Amino acid sequence: MNMKKVIAVIMAGVMTAGFVTGCGQSSKSKSTKDGKVQLEIFSTKPESAKTLQGLIDKFMKEHQDISISLTSQADAGTILKTRLTKNDIPDIIAMGGDATYTELQSAGVLLDLSDSGFTEKVQESYLQMVYDVNKDEEKKAYGIPYATNASGVIYNKDIFEEAGVKVPKTWTEFMEVCEKLKAAGYTPFELTYADAWCGLPAWNSMATVIPEKGFTDARKKGETTFADTHKEVMEKYLKILNYAQEGFLGTTYNDGNAAFAKGNAAMSIQGNWAISEYIKTNKDINIDMFAFPSTDKADSNTVTSGVDVLMAVSNQASEEQQEAGKKFIEFMLAQENAKQYIEEQFAFSAVKGVEQDNETVAGLKKDIAEGRVSNFPDHYYPSGYDLAAILQECALNFTNGMSEQENIAATLKLCDEQYDAANVE
Amino acid sequence: MMGVKNASRQKKNNIVTIILFFFAALVIVGPLYLAIIIALKTPDQMSNILALPNSLNFDNFVKAWEMTDYPRKFGNTLFITVVNLVFTIFTNSAAAYAIERNRKKRKIFNALYYYFISAMFIPFNVLMLPLVKQADVFNLDNILGITFLYIVFGLPMNTFLYTGFIKSIPVALDEAAKIDGASPIQVFRYIIFPTLKPMTATVAILSSMWTWNDFLMPLVLLSDKKHQTLQLAQYVFQGQFNTQYNLAFASYLLVLLPVLIFYIICQKWIMSGVVAGSVKQ
Amino acid sequence: MKKEKVSKAFYLMTIPMAILFFIFHTYPFIKGVFYSFTDWKGYGDWNFVNLRNYLHIFKDKNVISSYLFTFKFALAATIGVNILSMILACALNAKIRCKNFLKAVYFLPYMLGVLIIGYIFKYIFSNIIPMVGSSLGIEALSNNLLGTDSAWIPVLIVTIWQGLAFNTLIYLAGLQTVDTSLYEAASLDGATGLKRFLKITFPLIAPFFTINMVLSGKNYLMAFDQMMAMTNGGPGTATTTISVLIYKKGFTGGQFAYQSANAVLLFLIIIFISVLQLKVLEKREERVGE
Repeated sequence: MNMKKVIAVIMAGVMTAGFVTGCGQSSKSKSTKDGKVQLEIFSTKPESAKTLQGLIDKFMKEHQDISISLTSQADAGTILKTRLTKNDIPDIIAMGGDATYTELQSAGVLLDLSDSGFTEKVQESYLQMVYDVNKDEEKKAYGIPYATNASGVIYNKDIFEEAGVKVPKTWTEFMEVCEKLKAAGYTPFELTYADAWCGLPAWNSMATVIPEKGFTDARKKGETTFADTHKEVMEKYLKILNYAQEGFLGTTYNDGNAAFAKGNAAMSIQGNWAISEYIKTNKDINIDMFAFPSTDKADSNTVTSGVDVLMAVSNQASEEQQEAGKKFIEFMLAQENAKQYIEEQFAFSAVKGVEQDNETVAGLKKDIAEGRVSNFPDHYYPSGYDLAAILQECALNFTNGMSEQENIAATLKLCDEQYDAANVE
Repeated sequence: MMGVKNASRQKKNNIVTIILFFFAALVIVGPLYLAIIIALKTPDQMSNILALPNSLNFDNFVKAWEMTDYPRKFGNTLFITVVNLVFTIFTNSAAAYAIERNRKKRKIFNALYYYFISAMFIPFNVLMLPLVKQADVFNLDNILGITFLYIVFGLPMNTFLYTGFIKSIPVALDEAAKIDGASPIQVFRYIIFPTLKPMTATVAILSSMWTWNDFLMPLVLLSDKKHQTLQLAQYVFQGQFNTQYNLAFASYLLVLLPVLIFYIICQKWIMSGVVAGSVKQ
Repeated sequence: MKKEKVSKAFYLMTIPMAILFFIFHTYPFIKGVFYSFTDWKGYGDWNFVNLRNYLHIFKDKNVISSYLFTFKFALAATIGVNILSMILACALNAKIRCKNFLKAVYFLPYMLGVLIIGYIFKYIFSNIIPMVGSSLGIEALSNNLLGTDSAWIPVLIVTIWQGLAFNTLIYLAGLQTVDTSLYEAASLDGATGLKRFLKITFPLIAPFFTINMVLSGKNYLMAFDQMMAMTNGGPGTATTTISVLIYKKGFTGGQFAYQSANAVLLFLIIIFISVLQLKVLEKREERVGE
């Protein structure tokens, strides 16, 4: 009998606890609570969670009437698509200018910010990149470019010095550097292919330079194929793998970053976003970046740079929330805040007049200033085209000892098949 | 003769005992031991992972507790589990009772029986995409919604378990009570439900374990941080734990701990409960 | 036949539940089937496309390879779990010391969520085993298995580790129904060890074998949590099960309807396998019973 009482008490406790913690309300949380406008910011970059939270706290101090909560989690792209499916769009979205953005934009859930005055504050070229990924390349700013990234090669300056090698400008030099490093007992690359997306940066750097211009449009129309145009990319892609650390396919992004930060390898093929991760492990790491030397023509090699973070507001949010969201974007675009963001993230700003002068990315400055920049090709591939998985499979073939010719043919065939499959319409 | 035989059997059993202990320690307890010592260490003690920590260090637990907003996630998960449990037991047993007792009298009950049983073959993944879509219309992407869905989704399996058991309860029992003037609800409340106890234990354990440990349904339905469950929170924070494995393991243990404690207390009851229902069929 | 009166209360106990069940379980299911014949993205306009989505499935390498992997995985897991749990159950059923304690320990994994267990084992496979392997100089163990073609083996191990408990318990219950006097008779006939198990024990616990095969077969065809925790379907698509594929691609706009078709196909396959299993196993049981 006592047991029954105990159970009854526990039950009552649980029920109240549940209702107090707010299970009672819908998750489409009320737009205002205690007189404060409630906003949710969804960020697809877990690396920048801390920086964003810092800026949000600052914003909330200045705007006592607005309360913002940050959502930032693993596999954000899929989560965001799930939320689109159930029409539960976060009020503000900080995301890359990629296929996921295209999907949200073409679903018509983003607010047109063209007339908000934000567009004048950011650089034209980056705004153009956002237009490019809009449906039908519509010239409207559904997202305001905020931070941009640069992908290439990150190298450990100390190791380069000890091994007596210089920053390579061409593919041939690049391979020489790798040979020399190997001969001197260093691991040339720390690759982290256990996380599929980490196989993309090398591809992205080469795929914009090596195949002829206009490939993405031609491919979309079905006028060309990966197999016809990306053979050289693949050859070089596989060459790189020869110089990676043992078991690179089993190394996760997190573990590999820690290993690189400890000086286990000389280079990593990543973008500026990884730098803050290295510094978490080793504050004193002495690193810099250089553009990926895709070809032997030094002038045509480019830094891969795209819109890493754009700010968008949901048009599903209430009017108050939309206004508050705009206020937040305005706050983020202010010079000192934009500066703080890129300083902590080692990123580049889309905001006019905000420049990155950190040493860790100094090697790229000249390339960027002289316009040797190209956007991420995978931003133009259809959503649902899982190139990362294809490249991971290619790396798996490589570790299984498949011959180079066979692997290239198989991978490029897969590229084409999957591309067509992703375009089921 | 007999003595010798017994002695040799005794010896043999000791070997089995030792082997069982050895595997239990290595395979079952080993990984959990690892998890515990890693959670108790600081990163600089990680050079020898297998060694015991120098000192007991609960900082990781404190940090994980705060980082994942543990009390709220725990409250959410407990709420879902307990509410689901209570409603499941009452509604599903009553439904099963009504179905089983009237299957031969009215076609509709027989039809419902086959309806529920055949629904057992529909896995959640098949419903997932449209259900997520429907979540918007019915406002199901919150704790109450998901609890409600658990109650409904458990119905086929539980009807299957309960009807099998009710079949073995003689109808004469109902009849006798009816003659004494009891209404069907009273019959169920005072006669049938208490008799169902062994099966109720089974249903209780199976559905609690399901709701406590489920990951897929919360993953697709619960996006608001305030509504997330313990399992989902681990997935969400996976990226932020980064290489802080000590912190991550402390967080995993915080999720496992309530279940472990519950298991240690109710272990016998749980094991017999699981068997009772599954084997009855 | 005279119709007996059925009290309204009985309708009250079932009809509301049945209606709710229809709205939240059957209706989404029907809608899913409906979507599978359209090109709906989850938003916006849509058209009927007849069987296009279904025809496309058979041409899509991703889908085909995920089906093949799922079958391989489910088969390996079902067999592995059942063999091991039967051995374990026999051992636990022997006259051993600390029987209850050991039973309790071996049942423990049943209580723990697969996701968390997956995380713990992921760490063991990617950090501890390579470390131990390379310090012992064992080539095969010095790399992270999760980054190789064999990535499915660690995932399988976790699945078996977790699944063993439930099946063992069921077999134990079965073994306890076996009359020990049968053993004595058997030992007089000279049947011992494996022979005794196959001739006497197994036929007697055959119904329990049926339960376990059907339940685990269906469960493992749905495997999801362990992949999400350990490999995220990789490397490449090496450990992508159908559930993982539907989740990862289904919410991508272009594939909402297409993956709905995939889900419907999965449903048909599950039904087919379950019915087949029941038929075959029941038949065998009957034969054994004779």
